[in-house]
Amino acid sequence: MNSEHEPRIVAFLCKWCSSAGSDMAGVSRLEYPPNVIPITVMCSGSVSPLYILSAFNLGADGVLVSGCHPGDCHYIKGNMYARRRMALLKELLPYIGLEPERFQMSWVSAAEGLKFTQIIKEFVEQLKPLGPQTQLRRYL
Amino acid sequence: MVDLERIKDEARRLLKEGEVRGVIGYVQGPKGVWAVPALIQNPDDVDRLIWNPTCIHNLSLFVVEEKKDQARQKEPDKRPLAVVVKGCDSRAINVLLQEKFIEREEVILLGISCENSGVVDQKKLVSLLHGQKIEDIVYGDNGHIVVAINGERRVFAPDEVLADRCLECRANFPVISDYFFGEKIERESAPSFTQVEEIEKMRLEERRRFWEKEMARCLRCYACRSVCPMCYCAECVVDPISFAVEPTTSAEEKAKKIKWIEKSPLLSENFVYHLVRAIHLAGRCVDCGECERVCPEGIPIRLLNKKLEREALRLFNYVAGMDSQAPSLFSTFKETDPEDFIR
Repeated sequence: MNSEHEPRIVAFLCKWCSSAGSDMAGVSRLEYPPNVIPITVMCSGSVSPLYILSAFNLGADGVLVSGCHPGDCHYIKGNMYARRRMALLKELLPYIGLEPERFQMSWVSAAEGLKFTQIIKEFVEQLKPLGPQTQLRRYL
Repeated sequence: MVDLERIKDEARRLLKEGEVRGVIGYVQGPKGVWAVPALIQNPDDVDRLIWNPTCIHNLSLFVVEEKKDQARQKEPDKRPLAVVVKGCDSRAINVLLQEKFIEREEVILLGISCENSGVVDQKKLVSLLHGQKIEDIVYGDNGHIVVAINGERRVFAPDEVLADRCLECRANFPVISDYFFGEKIERESAPSFTQVEEIEKMRLEERRRFWEKEMARCLRCYACRSVCPMCYCAECVVDPISFAVEPTTSAEEKAKKIKWIEKSPLLSENFVYHLVRAIHLAGRCVDCGECERVCPEGIPIRLLNKKLEREALRLFNYVAGMDSQAPSLFSTFKETDPEDFIR
């Protein structure tokens, strides 16, 4: 039994852009790995670092937070707040020993279906060699 | 030198004239020389106030406790509270003001400068003296600490006995105060982030092993949370029994409350608890070092907060608690914030 680990990615997608972007990928019949569990949120600025830690805690191998490009936020500046918060979390996770690849952030607009598929493809490729995430995962 | 009599005079006057409802300061504790925090309400008790290198506690915590207590009273005493604050305590007060948890009129700050010294680290001192009974601790010249044991006086250099946070402190005087005692001395401090950098130098697996060893010991006693002046939320994400239950909270709401993490001290849950706490204190932690001091397991909690303090400084040029008028770290942004990690 040496089959490759299929990573599970939890993706927090902004309703106004990235979620529509993933939809765009779908209606355009673009193929990408089925390892993503999308969670639509109202804004990337509404994603608390707690959600991300909780996703890891409940067994995610990787977490993606995706929002609108700077200046495109439906709520004017939600993504800018998210950028600050996530920058700190991005520094904190490797500090305690979690691989930096496991948490990523991207800007994907509603038209960028292709970019979304590329991000997921690359994310999955990066996670496969790392194997399952065990550090923050709850085993009961 | 800080003149204790002047502090007492001021405290006595404030109490006598009824300007404040109480003075929070340090008094001699029941256990040897170590100071304990006290709320003094009677002008006659003011003589109990002390100031020496054992005044470790961050008294801004009691401002928070008093504020919470007032909210529960029917007719609270609206007069302000006088608080003795060191440099780190004053920064904590600044953060509380910044977050509008308290108003400036609610506190009268008796600021004490640590001058070229600081407060001692109990563990360092006890191990240096091999547990001998300490009779007295006072400040000596040039930040030295003079300890009396067995009738003999021993002088320690600041590096030997001061708490780590004091050695790394960059503002060893109150940044906000109504009365200022002592001198504002710009002291040469050790580089602030040496310990953080040591961990960063480790390889990823080493870091993971280091933190796993530390986190595995966590008992989840929440002492770090109880002692932190910034952990004032009525409802804490890690502890579902403490969520704010009001008369209008229905049974369904209680049942639906999200349980973010398990209460049992599993390694993974301990990690999530400490990470949540660290990120919640980002840009708010003033590095008073209380969490690490009270930890019964000696977990270097401060290193997590220090890491975020450094990143806030490096990425956003933000230092917590220096200005009560400035917006807090997460309530503002700049167009030029780094985004090279975003794809």
